[in-house]
Amino acid sequence: MRRLAIALALVPALAEASFTLRSEVDARRIGVEDQLQLTITVEGSGAPDEIPLPALTNLEVVGGPYQSTQVSIVNGRMSQSRSHTYALQPRAVGKAEVGVVRAGDQAAPAIAIEVVAGSARPRQPQRQDPFGMDPFGDPFEEMLGRRRSRAAAPKLLVEAVPSRTRLRVGEPLLLTYSLVTQASVADLQFKEPPQFAGFWVEDLERPQGSPSGEAATVEGESYRRFPILRKLLFPTKAGTLTLPATTFRIGLARQGFFDAGGAVERATNPVTITVDPLPDAPGFSGAVGRFRTSSSLDRDVVPLGEAVTLRFRIEGTGNLKWIDRGPEVAVAGARVFPPQAKSDLRATSEGITGSRTWESVVVPETSGALEVPPLPFSWFDTAAGKIVTVETPPLSLRVEGGTVAAGLPVPAPRPGALRSGGSLPLRADLDRHPASSLALPGRTLFALAGLALLLHAALWGAGRWRAGARRGASRAASPRSVRAALAHLERAGREPMSKEQAASLVEKALHEAFGEVPEDDESERARAVRALLEDGRLVRYAPQLGQYEDRVKDLAARAAAVVRRWA
Amino acid sequence: MKALRLALVAAALAASVAAAPAVDRFREANELARAGDYPKAIALYGELSASGEESASLYWNWAQAAAARGAQGEALWALLRARELDPGDRAVVRDVERLRESLNLDPAEIAPEPLAAAGRASRRFRLDLVALVLLALSLLAHGLARAAPGLRWPGGAAWATLLLGLMAAAVPLAASLSRPTAVVVRRGAPLLDAASPTAEATGSLREGEVVPVLESSGAWLRVEDNAGARGWAHVDDVRRIDAAPTPPRD
Repeated sequence: MRRLAIALALVPALAEASFTLRSEVDARRIGVEDQLQLTITVEGSGAPDEIPLPALTNLEVVGGPYQSTQVSIVNGRMSQSRSHTYALQPRAVGKAEVGVVRAGDQAAPAIAIEVVAGSARPRQPQRQDPFGMDPFGDPFEEMLGRRRSRAAAPKLLVEAVPSRTRLRVGEPLLLTYSLVTQASVADLQFKEPPQFAGFWVEDLERPQGSPSGEAATVEGESYRRFPILRKLLFPTKAGTLTLPATTFRIGLARQGFFDAGGAVERATNPVTITVDPLPDAPGFSGAVGRFRTSSSLDRDVVPLGEAVTLRFRIEGTGNLKWIDRGPEVAVAGARVFPPQAKSDLRATSEGITGSRTWESVVVPETSGALEVPPLPFSWFDTAAGKIVTVETPPLSLRVEGGTVAAGLPVPAPRPGALRSGGSLPLRADLDRHPASSLALPGRTLFALAGLALLLHAALWGAGRWRAGARRGASRAASPRSVRAALAHLERAGREPMSKEQAASLVEKALHEAFGEVPEDDESERARAVRALLEDGRLVRYAPQLGQYEDRVKDLAARAAAVVRRWA
Repeated sequence: MKALRLALVAAALAASVAAAPAVDRFREANELARAGDYPKAIALYGELSASGEESASLYWNWAQAAAARGAQGEALWALLRARELDPGDRAVVRDVERLRESLNLDPAEIAPEPLAAAGRASRRFRLDLVALVLLALSLLAHGLARAAPGLRWPGGAAWATLLLGLMAAAVPLAASLSRPTAVVVRRGAPLLDAASPTAEATGSLREGEVVPVLESSGAWLRVEDNAGARGWAHVDDVRRIDAAPTPPRD
C-alpha cells in the first residue's frame, strides 16, 4: 500500500460555509528526479468551480489538472466531493513548498517539501504487458515514475465446445465458442483466424443469450458464460480430425479512474473429432441428413410445340449445399433441357435447412401420352444410420395436336440419352467406326492437294506450250519478206498480166509474208490469210468469162492491207 | 463375277464373326457397370479399346463407369476420346462441359490447343473429303477448258473449285499441325524431371487438366501444364486423347 503524507487542514466551520477544502501531497520528501502528486479536494456544496493553483516554490507543473467527481449517499444524506490533481516536478535540490490553497472563503495551509538529490522513491517493478504500451493506460503511471497493477490476474477463459465428437462425413457439427469470465470484458477478437482443415464451414448467427450470460462453475469457482460464436462444420473426409487451439485477445474493462484496463490472451483447447466414412451405394452422391423429394409439372396437358416445366425438389435438413446435381431426367418422346437449380437455404444448428429445386424445360416432340419416369434420390439418413433411396411417383403429360396421331407409341430415345433413375446412362450399341473418325492423315491430304496443284500447273503449262508453238508457226515475217510481198502485190495490181499470173503473184506474196498457216489456227489473222488465198485460187482457176482486172486489183489491195496489218 | 460375289460375302461373314465377340464383351462390360463392378467394367472397356474396337459409345460408357467410381479425370479423358472419335455427338459434348465444371476447370484448361477444335470440325464435316472432291472437280473443269477453248464456263468453274478446295483443305492441314494432348487422370499426379520412376518430382498435375504432349519415351510423356511447367509424367497418370490407351499394366 502506498503511503500518503497528508497535510490536512480542517477549516473551522462557519455558519454559511457548506464545503471543506483539503490540499494533499503524496510525499513530503522526494528526489529531484521524482515527481510529486498534489491533490486538492473540495467536499460539500457551494464551492466555486475554479480552484486556483496555489503558489509553488521550487516546483513546476508537469501534468494536470485532472478532475474527478464522486457522489455518495450515506445514511440517506448525499455528499459530493471534487478533486483536482496536479503532477509537480522539483526544480533543484533543497526546500520546496506548495502554497496556501484558497477557494471562496476557505483555505488550506501550505505544505513544505524537502527535495534531495537523485530519487527518493523506491523503484517499482515494470509490469509485463505482452502487448507493449497500452494506449488506454493510466497517464499518472508514466508521470509518477511508477505503474499501477491489478490486484490479481483476471479470471477468464475461452472454450470451444463441439456438439459431438463422433460423426460421419457430411453430418453437421455445431462448434460453440464461449467466454467464461469473472471479469468485465471490453473487447474480444481473434488473434488468429481459427482453422477448420477437413471441414466445410457455415457461419451461424450470433447466439441470442442473456446479456448477463449463464452461470458456470470452473474448478469450484463461479463464472459467467457468454456464447460468442457458433460455427456449423461438415467434415469432408473420414478419419480423426483435429481443430487446433484458437487464441483470442481479450480487452479488459477499466475498473476505475486509475485502472489501465489492458488485454490478455486466452486460447481454447484443441478439439478432436472422429469422422466415420459413409457407406457406398450406386446412385448415392453424398447427401446426408433427412430429406423429402417431390416432382411436379406445371401443367398436365400441353399442345405440341409448347414446353412444360418439370420441377424436382429436395427439402429437409442436412448438407443440402453439397447436393449440386439433381437426378438425370429423360422423357421418352420429349427433349429435356439441362436444369436450372434454385435454392432456399439457411444455416441452423441442425444443419442446412431449406430446399433445392431443379427446373427442367421439357419440350414434347410427339403427340400422345408421355410419362416422366420416377426420379430417384439417395441420401444417408442420419436417424436410420443407412442409405435411403426414394423415388418420386411418375408424372403423366398429355400432348395434344401435331401431325402424329395421339396414342401412337412414342419413339425410343437414342442410346446414351437415356438416364433412368440412379442407374448409369450406358449405351447399348458399340456403334463402331463412325464416318467422322476416318479422317485422312494430314500428310496424305497435303500430298493430294499438292498433286492437284501440280496437275493444274501441268495443264496450264501444256496450254502455254501449245500457244507458244502456234506463235512459233505464225511468227512475224522479216521486213525484207514484207517488202518483197508488198512489191509483188503492187505489181499484181498495177501491171497488165493474166489473171493466173496475178493470182499466183498474190499467193506468193502471202506465203512470203505469213508462211504456212495451220488449218487449226482460228485466229483472225489466219482466217484473213486463208480467205485471201481462197479468193486467189478462185480468181486463178475461174473460167475466163470476162475482165478480172478490177477483181485482181481488189484482191491485191486487200492482200496488201492484210500484210501491212499482220505481217 | 460369281467368284467376286462369293468373296465379298465371305469377307462380310468373317467381319461379323469377328465383331460378335466384341459386341458380347461390350455388353458384358455394361452389365458389370450396371451391377456396380466398375473396376471390372473399366478393365473390359480398356481391353476392347486396346484391341481396336474403339467407338464413341465405348468411351461414353467408360466415362460413366469411371465417374461412378469417382475417377473424374479418367471420365473426362474417356469423354474427350469419345469426342475425338465422334465430334458430332452432342451428348458427349454436353457431358464434357458438365464434368469440366464439376472439376472446377476453366474451359481453356481442357483446350490447350485451339487448332484441335479445327480438327474436330474438319472430321465432323468431312472437310478433307470435301477438299478432295473440289480439287478433282477443278482438275476436270481445267481440262475441259483446255480441250474446248470456245467454252468459257469451265475456266471460271476451275478457278472457283480450286480456291474452295484449297480453303477446305487448309482446315484439316492446319489442325494436323496442333500438338497431341493428354488428360491427367490421377489426382496429384507427379510431374517428374526425368522419364524415370526414380526421378524427382518438380510439381504435381491437376486432375482433369488437358496438357500438350511435347514428346514421348516408352511409358513416359513429356508434358507442359497450364502454368508452363514442363516435365515427365507416366502414361498411367496422363492419357493421350489422340490414341487408344495402352493395355492395362500389371
